[in-house]
Order: sequence, then C-alpha cells, then structure tokens
Amino acid sequence: MITIYKDKKDIPQNMEYVELNDVFFNKNTVARLDDHAKEIVEKIDDAKLAGKYKIESKFNGVTLDVDCLSTGCKTVLNVLYFPDKVFCLKECGDNALEVLYNLEDGFIYSDYAMIPFDMSEVKVCFGTQSKIINDYEELKEWWSNGE
Amino acid sequence: MESKPIVMDHFSTVHTSYVVNFKFTNNITILTGSSATGKTASFSFIKECMAINPDILCLNYLDYQKNIKEIVSHAKGKLIVIDNADILLNDETRKYISLDGKNQYLIIGRNPKNLFATKENLFELVSKKNGEQTEFQIEPYL
Repeated sequence: MITIYKDKKDIPQNMEYVELNDVFFNKNTVARLDDHAKEIVEKIDDAKLAGKYKIESKFNGVTLDVDCLSTGCKTVLNVLYFPDKVFCLKECGDNALEVLYNLEDGFIYSDYAMIPFDMSEVKVCFGTQSKIINDYEELKEWWSNGE
Repeated sequence: MESKPIVMDHFSTVHTSYVVNFKFTNNITILTGSSATGKTASFSFIKECMAINPDILCLNYLDYQKNIKEIVSHAKGKLIVIDNADILLNDETRKYISLDGKNQYLIIGRNPKNLFATKENLFELVSKKNGEQTEFQIEPYL
C-alpha cells in the first residue's frame, strides 16, 4: 500500500524527498530496471523496454533512450524501486496514477489531490496521525481539508 | 479566462518523422492529459525552433534553479512554452502569467491553480499517423 503526504513538513527527516522525477530516474532508477519495469512501461507508456537502456517508441517503433519515458512512468518506477524515498506525484497522468496507487509499497507527496478514479487502499499521513482510506471521495476530502 | 493569442495563432514545425501542428485559440493554452501522449516530445521539437525563431522561449525542469518569474517578466512578444509546469511554477509566477499582456503561453501540466483558467484554456494532445509521419495537434480537453 502506498503512503501519501500532503504537507512536506510531515515527511520524516530520515526520508529524502524527490521533486525532479526525471533527473532521479535518469541518474538512479534506470540502473535497477528489471522485468517488473517492462510491465509498467507497457501499461503506462505503451512502449517496450528493449534492453536495459532502450525503449521502442509507441509512435513509430523507433528505438529511443530510456530517458524518453514519460515523467509519469518514471515517477511510478522511482516509487517502485526506491521505497525508502518520497516522490512528488504532480506530474502523473491518470494512467500513471492508476498504476501508482496499486503498488505494494512506496511514498508520495502532493499538496493537492491527485487520485485515479479506480483507486485502492492507501495510507495517508498528516501531522503525527495516519489512517487508511479506500474511498475516492474520502481521500479527496482528506486532501482538501486541514487534517 | 478567454483572451485571444497575442503572439501567434498557429505554430508548426517538423522534426524528422514528427510534425507539430498547433492552433491556438487562447493566450494561455494549458496542455494536459494522460502520461505518454507526446507532450514532452512536442516540447523538445518546439524547443529546437528556439534556434531559428526569436519569438519562442522554452523552459522546463532544467530551469528548476532559475527564477522563472524574473525570466518571463523580462520577455516581450514571445510564445513562452513551459514543460514540467506543475513543479516549475509557484503561485506568484502563475498569477503573473495569468495577467501578462506581453507574452503568450503554452503550459504543459495538470494544475491550473492561479492561472484563472476555464475550460477554454484546457487542451490535450492528439497524435495522427500520416504515412510514416506522426502529427501532433491540440484539441479541447473534455
């Protein structure tokens, strides 16, 4: 289950917060990609991983460097491979959010609501409190309220 | 917010097999939608035009350390294209952009906060295959 923060000051001091998902992916996550990434890349970007550092573009089949993945896809892969860090989810489209919310583990941050229509259970943290939410409207309300 | 484009109502460019063909109906166009539709690819093709077209100014996450408000406030008569806008634009810069009468904006992101946007400002990218070419256009976001 993923954990969501809506206030940066609630992120534990021993956890790094990453806002620039493109840069983090290109420098760190790319080295950890495995078969699990193949499925995610196909699902979000409709592209194929062609080796460790290449993808086959969905537009014209051209082989591109893996840095051409969408920021949304890179964000999901960052969260997947680095469950000890908190990642900004503001650049995820609905298709990336749907995959992100179904990850078994991971930490994300946004100060405004970013919720896929088909959401599963998430843990939300605010101040010293946390709770489990599995309803779209309830999560939206948590995000817009002060607590 | 509805206002006519003040710099250009049409932009097109070609990059190898890719064609960008955008028609602007508003001075602030927010390009939004799902991940992996080609938004950042289109940005890179437009950015290439900065080398030959002085009316274009492109900003993205590589400008994260810069003062974006200062950059746009010094610009005049430009189509300012901003990718990664959701992490690049703070509230102050968004308010400035919403009232800027000197430049036109193409903002790639999902958060319309403080841009005083209405549905007239929201667009999504669509791609069409023409033989071996892929053409990107913008259409109103539903």
